[in-house]
Amino acid sequence: MTQRDYASEEQRLYARWLDYGTRIGFVVLVATFLAYVFQLVPPAIDFDDLPKYWSLPVNEYLAATGAPTGWGWVRRLGSGDYLNFLGVAVLGGVTIVCYLRLLPALLSKGERVFAIICAIEIVVLAVAAAGIVGSGH
Amino acid sequence: MLALAATAAHAAEPAAVAWWVWPLALFVVTFLLGIVAVLGGVGGGVLFVPIVGGFFPFHLDFVRGAGLMLALSGALSAGPGLLRSGMASLRLAMPLALIGSIASIGGAMVGLALPTNVVQTALGAVILMIVVLMWRAKKSERPEVAQPDRLGAALRMNGIFHDAASREEIDWRVHRTPLGLVMFAGIGFMAGMFGLGAGWANVPVLNLLMGAPLKVSVSTSSFLLSIIDTSAAWVYLNRGAMLAMLTAPSILGVMLGARIGGKLLRTAKAATVRRIVIGLLLVAGARALLKGLGIWN
Repeated sequence: MTQRDYASEEQRLYARWLDYGTRIGFVVLVATFLAYVFQLVPPAIDFDDLPKYWSLPVNEYLAATGAPTGWGWVRRLGSGDYLNFLGVAVLGGVTIVCYLRLLPALLSKGERVFAIICAIEIVVLAVAAAGIVGSGH
Repeated sequence: MLALAATAAHAAEPAAVAWWVWPLALFVVTFLLGIVAVLGGVGGGVLFVPIVGGFFPFHLDFVRGAGLMLALSGALSAGPGLLRSGMASLRLAMPLALIGSIASIGGAMVGLALPTNVVQTALGAVILMIVVLMWRAKKSERPEVAQPDRLGAALRMNGIFHDAASREEIDWRVHRTPLGLVMFAGIGFMAGMFGLGAGWANVPVLNLLMGAPLKVSVSTSSFLLSIIDTSAAWVYLNRGAMLAMLTAPSILGVMLGARIGGKLLRTAKAATVRRIVIGLLLVAGARALLKGLGIWN
Protein backbone atom coordinates (compact mmCIF):
# COMPACT_ATOMS: atom_id res chain seq x y z
CA MET A 1 0.00 0.00 0.00
CA THR A 2 1.47 3.36 -0.90
CA GLN A 3 1.35 6.23 1.55
CA ARG A 4 -0.97 8.10 -0.82
CA ASP A 5 -3.72 5.56 -0.17
CA TYR A 6 -4.07 6.69 3.43
CA ALA A 7 -5.75 9.92 2.30
CA SER A 8 -9.38 9.77 1.19
CA GLU A 9 -10.40 10.81 -2.31
CA GLU A 10 -11.97 14.06 -1.00
CA GLN A 11 -8.84 14.82 1.01
CA ARG A 12 -6.63 14.44 -2.08
CA LEU A 13 -9.02 16.62 -4.07
CA TYR A 14 -8.88 19.32 -1.41
CA ALA A 15 -5.07 19.05 -1.31
CA ARG A 16 -4.80 19.49 -5.08
CA TRP A 17 -6.88 22.67 -5.12
CA LEU A 18 -5.14 24.00 -2.00
CA ASP A 19 -1.78 23.46 -3.67
CA TYR A 20 -2.72 25.32 -6.86
CA GLY A 21 -4.41 28.18 -5.01
CA THR A 22 -1.55 28.68 -2.57
CA ARG A 23 1.05 28.74 -5.35
CA ILE A 24 -0.97 31.34 -7.26
CA GLY A 25 -1.39 33.39 -4.07
CA PHE A 26 2.33 33.48 -3.33
CA VAL A 27 3.25 34.41 -6.91
CA VAL A 28 0.73 37.27 -6.86
CA LEU A 29 1.91 38.40 -3.39
CA VAL A 30 5.59 38.50 -4.38
CA ALA A 31 4.96 40.07 -7.80
CA THR A 32 2.71 42.83 -6.45
CA PHE A 33 5.06 43.55 -3.54
CA LEU A 34 8.01 43.94 -5.92
CA ALA A 35 5.89 46.25 -8.11
CA TYR A 36 5.02 48.26 -4.99
CA VAL A 37 8.41 48.48 -3.34
CA PHE A 38 10.26 49.34 -6.58
CA GLN A 39 7.49 51.84 -7.38
CA LEU A 40 6.65 50.24 -10.72
CA VAL A 41 3.13 51.05 -9.55
CA PRO A 42 3.10 54.32 -7.55
CA PRO A 43 1.89 54.04 -3.93
CA ALA A 44 -1.13 55.92 -2.57
CA ILE A 45 0.87 56.85 0.55
CA ASP A 46 4.35 58.16 -0.14
CA PHE A 47 7.03 55.89 1.35
CA ASP A 48 8.58 58.76 3.31
CA ASP A 49 5.21 59.45 4.95
CA LEU A 50 4.52 55.82 5.93
CA PRO A 51 6.28 56.00 9.35
CA LYS A 52 3.86 58.78 10.37
CA TYR A 53 0.91 56.47 9.88
CA TRP A 54 1.90 52.89 10.70
CA SER A 55 2.09 53.53 14.44
CA LEU A 56 -1.51 54.80 14.58
CA PRO A 57 -4.46 52.62 15.66
CA VAL A 58 -6.40 51.45 12.62
CA ASN A 59 -9.29 53.92 13.10
CA GLU A 60 -6.92 56.90 13.27
CA TYR A 61 -4.90 55.52 10.34
CA LEU A 62 -8.05 55.30 8.23
CA ALA A 63 -9.09 58.83 9.16
CA ALA A 64 -5.62 60.25 8.50
CA THR A 65 -4.99 58.53 5.17
CA GLY A 66 -8.50 58.12 3.79
CA ALA A 67 -7.72 54.42 3.30
CA PRO A 68 -10.77 52.35 2.35
CA THR A 69 -12.41 49.58 4.37
CA GLY A 70 -14.18 46.47 3.08
CA TRP A 71 -13.53 45.82 -0.60
CA GLY A 72 -12.86 49.52 -1.25
CA TRP A 73 -9.23 48.64 -1.98
CA VAL A 74 -10.32 47.05 -5.30
CA ARG A 75 -11.15 50.51 -6.65
CA ARG A 76 -7.59 51.58 -5.81
CA LEU A 77 -5.67 48.77 -7.47
CA GLY A 78 -3.83 51.42 -9.47
CA SER A 79 -1.86 52.19 -6.29
CA GLY A 80 0.98 49.85 -5.33
CA ASP A 81 -0.04 49.52 -1.66
CA TYR A 82 -3.55 48.36 -2.54
CA LEU A 83 -2.40 46.25 -5.49
CA ASN A 84 -0.56 44.21 -2.85
CA PHE A 85 -3.88 43.23 -1.30
CA LEU A 86 -4.56 41.07 -4.37
CA GLY A 87 -2.09 38.48 -3.08
CA VAL A 88 -3.58 38.68 0.42
CA ALA A 89 -7.09 38.23 -1.03
CA VAL A 90 -6.03 35.21 -3.11
CA LEU A 91 -4.46 33.57 -0.04
CA GLY A 92 -7.60 34.42 1.96
CA GLY A 93 -9.82 33.00 -0.78
CA VAL A 94 -8.04 29.67 -1.32
CA THR A 95 -9.85 27.88 1.51
CA ILE A 96 -13.26 29.08 0.28
CA VAL A 97 -12.53 27.76 -3.22
CA CYS A 98 -11.35 24.43 -1.78
CA TYR A 99 -14.56 24.07 0.24
CA LEU A 100 -16.65 24.98 -2.83
CA ARG A 101 -14.89 22.20 -4.76
CA LEU A 102 -15.29 19.79 -1.84
CA LEU A 103 -19.06 20.26 -1.45
CA PRO A 104 -20.20 18.42 -4.62
CA ALA A 105 -17.68 15.65 -3.94
CA LEU A 106 -19.17 15.10 -0.47
CA LEU A 107 -22.73 15.19 -1.81
CA SER A 108 -21.95 12.67 -4.54
CA LYS A 109 -20.58 10.28 -1.91
CA GLY A 110 -23.69 10.68 0.23
CA GLU A 111 -21.76 12.36 3.07
CA ARG A 112 -24.73 14.49 4.09
CA VAL A 113 -23.51 15.59 7.54
CA PHE A 114 -20.10 16.65 6.23
CA ALA A 115 -21.75 18.31 3.22
CA ILE A 116 -23.81 20.42 5.67
CA ILE A 117 -20.69 21.27 7.71
CA CYS A 118 -18.94 22.18 4.45
CA ALA A 119 -21.85 24.38 3.31
CA ILE A 120 -22.01 26.22 6.65
CA GLU A 121 -18.24 26.79 6.56
CA ILE A 122 -18.55 28.28 3.06
CA VAL A 123 -21.23 30.67 4.36
CA VAL A 124 -19.10 31.63 7.40
CA LEU A 125 -16.00 32.31 5.29
CA ALA A 126 -18.02 34.13 2.63
CA VAL A 127 -19.65 36.34 5.28
CA ALA A 128 -16.20 37.18 6.69
CA ALA A 129 -14.76 37.80 3.23
CA ALA A 130 -17.68 39.93 2.10
CA GLY A 131 -17.21 42.19 5.11
CA ILE A 132 -20.80 41.57 6.26
CA VAL A 133 -19.42 41.25 9.78
CA GLY A 134 -16.52 43.24 11.06
CA SER A 135 -15.94 45.69 8.21
CA GLY A 136 -17.22 48.60 10.29
CA HIS A 137 -16.90 52.27 9.36
CA MET B 1 17.02 38.61 17.71
CA LEU B 2 15.27 40.65 20.40
CA ALA B 3 18.39 42.79 20.71
CA LEU B 4 18.33 43.43 16.97
CA ALA B 5 14.67 44.40 17.12
CA ALA B 6 15.20 46.56 20.21
CA THR B 7 18.24 48.29 18.68
CA ALA B 8 16.26 49.06 15.55
CA ALA B 9 13.37 50.35 17.66
CA HIS B 10 15.51 52.64 19.77
CA ALA B 11 17.95 53.73 17.08
CA ALA B 12 16.01 56.90 16.47
CA GLU B 13 12.52 58.31 16.27
CA PRO B 14 10.55 56.54 13.52
CA ALA B 15 10.24 59.73 11.52
CA ALA B 16 14.03 60.27 11.58
CA VAL B 17 14.78 56.83 10.15
CA ALA B 18 14.55 56.19 6.42
CA TRP B 19 11.31 54.31 5.72
CA TRP B 20 13.08 51.31 4.19
CA VAL B 21 14.99 50.53 7.40
CA TRP B 22 11.86 49.14 9.05
CA PRO B 23 10.71 46.68 6.37
CA LEU B 24 14.34 45.58 5.97
CA ALA B 25 14.74 45.06 9.74
CA LEU B 26 11.39 43.30 9.74
CA PHE B 27 12.52 40.97 6.96
CA VAL B 28 15.73 40.10 8.86
CA VAL B 29 13.92 39.53 12.17
CA THR B 30 11.13 37.45 10.56
CA PHE B 31 13.74 35.43 8.66
CA LEU B 32 15.37 34.56 12.01
CA LEU B 33 11.93 33.92 13.54
CA GLY B 34 11.16 31.53 10.69
CA ILE B 35 14.30 29.50 11.48
CA VAL B 36 13.64 29.44 15.23
CA ALA B 37 9.92 28.67 14.79
CA VAL B 38 10.59 25.56 12.71
CA LEU B 39 13.36 24.36 15.01
CA GLY B 40 11.23 25.04 18.08
CA GLY B 41 8.12 23.41 16.61
CA VAL B 42 5.92 26.49 16.98
CA GLY B 43 4.06 28.59 14.41
CA GLY B 44 5.63 31.89 13.35
CA GLY B 45 2.62 33.92 14.50
CA VAL B 46 3.05 33.21 18.19
CA LEU B 47 6.59 34.64 18.09
CA PHE B 48 5.87 37.36 15.51
CA VAL B 49 3.02 39.24 17.23
CA PRO B 50 4.62 39.82 20.66
CA ILE B 51 8.13 40.48 19.27
CA VAL B 52 7.18 42.80 16.40
CA GLY B 53 4.33 44.34 18.45
CA GLY B 54 6.73 45.00 21.32
CA PHE B 55 9.87 46.16 19.57
CA PHE B 56 8.83 47.71 16.23
CA PRO B 57 6.98 51.00 15.69
CA PHE B 58 3.99 49.39 13.91
CA HIS B 59 0.66 49.59 15.74
CA LEU B 60 -0.58 46.35 17.28
CA ASP B 61 -3.68 46.39 15.03
CA PHE B 62 -1.50 45.99 11.92
CA VAL B 63 0.88 43.56 13.63
CA ARG B 64 -2.03 41.25 14.50
CA GLY B 65 -3.34 41.43 10.92
CA ALA B 66 0.12 40.53 9.61
CA GLY B 67 0.49 37.82 12.27
CA LEU B 68 -2.69 36.14 11.01
CA MET B 69 -1.51 36.30 7.39
CA LEU B 70 1.83 34.86 8.47
CA ALA B 71 0.20 31.92 10.26
CA LEU B 72 -2.22 31.46 7.36
CA SER B 73 0.57 31.43 4.75
CA GLY B 74 2.55 28.80 6.64
CA ALA B 75 -0.54 26.63 7.11
CA LEU B 76 -1.57 26.94 3.46
CA SER B 77 1.88 25.89 2.22
CA ALA B 78 2.08 22.90 4.56
CA GLY B 79 -1.54 21.81 3.96
CA PRO B 80 -1.33 19.95 0.62
CA GLY B 81 1.55 17.69 1.70
CA LEU B 82 -0.01 16.91 5.07
CA LEU B 83 -3.38 16.06 3.51
CA ARG B 84 -1.91 13.90 0.74
CA SER B 85 0.20 11.89 3.18
CA GLY B 86 -2.85 11.16 5.32
CA MET B 87 -1.15 12.67 8.38
CA ALA B 88 -3.70 15.51 8.54
CA SER B 89 -7.33 14.44 8.65
CA LEU B 90 -10.04 16.38 6.85
CA ARG B 91 -12.75 14.52 8.81
CA LEU B 92 -11.16 15.48 12.13
CA ALA B 93 -10.53 19.06 11.05
CA MET B 94 -13.83 20.09 9.45
CA PRO B 95 -16.15 20.16 12.50
CA LEU B 96 -13.47 21.75 14.71
CA ALA B 97 -12.59 24.30 12.01
CA LEU B 98 -16.22 25.36 11.68
CA ILE B 99 -16.49 26.21 15.37
CA GLY B 100 -13.01 27.77 15.38
CA SER B 101 -13.59 29.96 12.34
CA ILE B 102 -16.90 31.33 13.68
CA ALA B 103 -15.18 32.12 17.01
CA SER B 104 -12.17 33.69 15.29
CA ILE B 105 -14.43 36.23 13.57
CA GLY B 106 -15.77 37.17 17.01
CA GLY B 107 -12.24 37.35 18.41
CA ALA B 108 -11.03 39.59 15.59
CA MET B 109 -13.99 41.96 16.04
CA VAL B 110 -13.49 42.16 19.81
CA GLY B 111 -9.72 42.63 19.41
CA LEU B 112 -10.21 45.52 16.98
CA ALA B 113 -12.88 47.13 19.19
CA LEU B 114 -10.96 47.06 22.49
CA PRO B 115 -8.47 49.78 23.51
CA THR B 116 -4.88 48.95 22.51
CA ASN B 117 -3.56 48.82 26.08
CA VAL B 118 -6.20 46.23 27.03
CA VAL B 119 -5.32 44.02 24.02
CA GLN B 120 -1.60 44.50 24.69
CA THR B 121 -1.98 43.54 28.36
CA ALA B 122 -4.12 40.50 27.51
CA LEU B 123 -1.62 39.51 24.80
CA GLY B 124 1.21 39.63 27.33
CA ALA B 125 -0.78 37.49 29.76
CA VAL B 126 -1.63 34.95 27.03
CA ILE B 127 2.01 34.75 25.86
CA LEU B 128 3.19 34.16 29.42
CA MET B 129 0.51 31.47 29.77
CA ILE B 130 1.84 29.85 26.58
CA VAL B 131 5.35 29.88 28.12
CA VAL B 132 4.02 27.94 31.12
CA LEU B 133 2.11 25.58 28.81
CA MET B 134 5.20 24.93 26.67
CA TRP B 135 7.39 24.43 29.73
CA ARG B 136 5.08 21.96 31.44
CA ALA B 137 3.06 20.36 28.64
CA LYS B 138 3.40 16.66 28.16
CA LYS B 139 2.91 14.93 24.83
CA SER B 140 1.55 11.52 24.15
CA GLU B 141 2.81 9.77 21.01
CA ARG B 142 -0.20 7.43 20.91
CA PRO B 143 -2.89 8.23 23.49
CA GLU B 144 -5.14 5.36 24.57
CA VAL B 145 -8.73 5.83 23.36
CA ALA B 146 -10.63 2.80 24.60
CA GLN B 147 -14.02 3.93 23.37
CA PRO B 148 -14.79 6.82 20.99
CA ASP B 149 -17.54 9.17 22.17
CA ARG B 150 -20.89 9.11 20.38
CA LEU B 151 -20.39 12.37 18.46
CA GLY B 152 -16.87 11.43 17.35
CA ALA B 153 -18.11 8.02 16.26
CA ALA B 154 -21.11 9.49 14.41
CA LEU B 155 -18.84 11.91 12.55
CA ARG B 156 -16.36 9.07 11.95
CA MET B 157 -13.50 11.16 13.28
CA ASN B 158 -11.02 8.32 12.94
CA GLY B 159 -8.46 7.01 10.48
CA ILE B 160 -5.33 5.05 9.76
CA PHE B 161 -1.94 6.54 9.00
CA HIS B 162 1.43 5.09 8.19
CA ASP B 163 4.13 6.11 10.66
CA ALA B 164 7.33 6.18 8.60
CA ALA B 165 9.51 6.29 11.75
CA SER B 166 8.14 3.07 13.28
CA ARG B 167 7.01 1.62 9.91
CA GLU B 168 3.65 0.81 11.45
CA GLU B 169 0.06 1.42 10.47
CA ILE B 170 -1.62 3.30 13.28
CA ASP B 171 -5.36 3.07 13.74
CA TRP B 172 -6.71 6.09 15.61
CA ARG B 173 -10.00 7.49 16.88
CA VAL B 174 -10.94 10.35 19.21
CA HIS B 175 -12.96 10.85 22.37
CA ARG B 176 -14.31 13.85 24.32
CA THR B 177 -15.40 15.46 21.02
CA PRO B 178 -17.99 17.85 22.57
CA LEU B 179 -15.37 19.24 24.98
CA GLY B 180 -12.92 19.48 22.07
CA LEU B 181 -15.43 21.59 20.14
CA VAL B 182 -15.84 23.93 23.12
CA MET B 183 -12.05 24.25 23.43
CA PHE B 184 -11.77 25.07 19.70
CA ALA B 185 -14.28 27.89 20.16
CA GLY B 186 -11.90 29.38 22.74
CA ILE B 187 -8.85 28.75 20.58
CA GLY B 188 -10.48 30.36 17.54
CA PHE B 189 -11.47 33.40 19.59
CA MET B 190 -7.91 33.92 20.83
CA ALA B 191 -6.45 33.35 17.35
CA GLY B 192 -8.68 36.09 15.95
CA MET B 193 -8.21 38.47 18.85
CA PHE B 194 -4.42 38.30 19.07
CA GLY B 195 -3.46 37.20 15.52
CA LEU B 196 -1.33 34.46 17.00
CA GLY B 197 -2.22 31.42 14.94
CA ALA B 198 -3.05 28.71 17.45
CA GLY B 199 -0.84 25.67 16.98
CA TRP B 200 0.30 26.02 20.59
CA ALA B 201 -3.26 25.27 21.73
CA ASN B 202 -4.51 23.03 18.90
CA VAL B 203 -1.95 20.30 19.47
CA PRO B 204 -2.58 19.75 23.22
CA VAL B 205 -6.36 19.72 22.66
CA LEU B 206 -6.18 17.25 19.76
CA ASN B 207 -3.51 15.07 21.37
CA LEU B 208 -4.05 15.16 25.13
CA LEU B 209 -7.78 15.93 25.32
CA MET B 210 -9.23 14.22 22.25
CA GLY B 211 -6.68 11.42 22.05
CA ALA B 212 -5.44 11.79 18.46
CA PRO B 213 -1.88 10.49 17.90
CA LEU B 214 0.79 13.21 18.17
CA LYS B 215 1.68 13.19 14.46
CA VAL B 216 -1.98 13.39 13.43
CA SER B 217 -2.50 16.20 15.98
CA VAL B 218 0.45 18.28 14.76
CA SER B 219 -0.47 17.81 11.07
CA THR B 220 -4.20 18.41 11.55
CA SER B 221 -3.44 21.46 13.72
CA SER B 222 -1.44 23.01 10.90
CA PHE B 223 -4.24 22.33 8.41
CA LEU B 224 -6.85 23.70 10.87
CA LEU B 225 -4.99 27.02 11.01
CA SER B 226 -5.51 27.47 7.28
CA ILE B 227 -9.28 27.53 7.88
CA ILE B 228 -9.55 29.24 11.28
CA ASP B 229 -7.12 32.04 10.40
CA THR B 230 -8.79 32.67 7.03
CA SER B 231 -12.00 34.04 8.55
CA ALA B 232 -10.16 36.28 11.05
CA ALA B 233 -7.72 37.52 8.36
CA TRP B 234 -10.69 38.71 6.27
CA VAL B 235 -12.01 40.72 9.23
CA TYR B 236 -8.63 42.48 9.58
CA LEU B 237 -8.43 43.12 5.82
CA ASN B 238 -11.98 44.46 5.69
CA ARG B 239 -11.34 46.74 8.67
CA GLY B 240 -8.29 48.20 6.94
CA ALA B 241 -5.90 46.65 9.50
CA MET B 242 -3.51 45.31 6.90
CA LEU B 243 -0.38 47.15 5.71
CA ALA B 244 1.40 45.88 2.61
CA MET B 245 4.76 47.18 3.88
CA LEU B 246 4.37 45.10 7.04
CA THR B 247 2.59 41.99 5.76
CA ALA B 248 4.53 41.07 2.61
CA PRO B 249 8.13 41.30 3.99
CA SER B 250 7.05 39.39 7.09
CA ILE B 251 5.51 36.53 5.10
CA LEU B 252 8.53 36.33 2.79
CA GLY B 253 11.00 36.50 5.72
CA VAL B 254 9.31 33.77 7.71
CA MET B 255 8.83 31.50 4.68
CA LEU B 256 12.51 31.77 3.71
CA GLY B 257 13.60 31.31 7.33
CA ALA B 258 11.36 28.25 7.67
CA ARG B 259 13.10 26.66 4.67
CA ILE B 260 16.52 27.18 6.28
CA GLY B 261 15.11 25.98 9.62
CA GLY B 262 13.86 22.82 7.95
CA LYS B 263 17.38 22.10 6.69
CA LEU B 264 18.92 22.75 10.12
CA LEU B 265 16.36 20.52 11.81
CA ARG B 266 18.48 17.38 11.48
CA THR B 267 21.49 18.85 13.28
CA ALA B 268 19.92 21.28 15.77
CA LYS B 269 19.63 20.31 19.42
CA ALA B 270 15.90 20.25 20.11
CA ALA B 271 16.19 20.97 23.84
CA THR B 272 18.40 24.03 23.28
CA VAL B 273 16.12 25.47 20.60
CA ARG B 274 13.10 24.87 22.82
CA ARG B 275 14.77 26.86 25.61
CA ILE B 276 15.52 29.68 23.15
CA VAL B 277 11.88 29.79 22.01
CA ILE B 278 10.63 29.81 25.60
CA GLY B 279 13.15 32.54 26.47
CA LEU B 280 12.06 34.69 23.50
CA LEU B 281 8.40 34.25 24.41
CA LEU B 282 9.12 35.09 28.05
CA VAL B 283 10.83 38.40 27.18
CA ALA B 284 8.28 39.28 24.46
CA GLY B 285 5.35 38.36 26.73
CA ALA B 286 6.73 40.41 29.62
CA ARG B 287 7.34 43.33 27.25
CA ALA B 288 3.74 43.16 25.94
CA LEU B 289 2.34 42.96 29.47
CA LEU B 290 4.43 45.86 30.78
CA LYS B 291 3.77 47.95 27.66
CA GLY B 292 0.04 47.34 28.04
CA LEU B 293 0.16 48.37 31.70
CA GLY B 294 2.12 51.49 30.77
CA ILE B 295 5.18 50.42 32.79
CA TRP B 296 7.63 49.86 29.87
CA ASN B 297 6.84 52.05 26.85
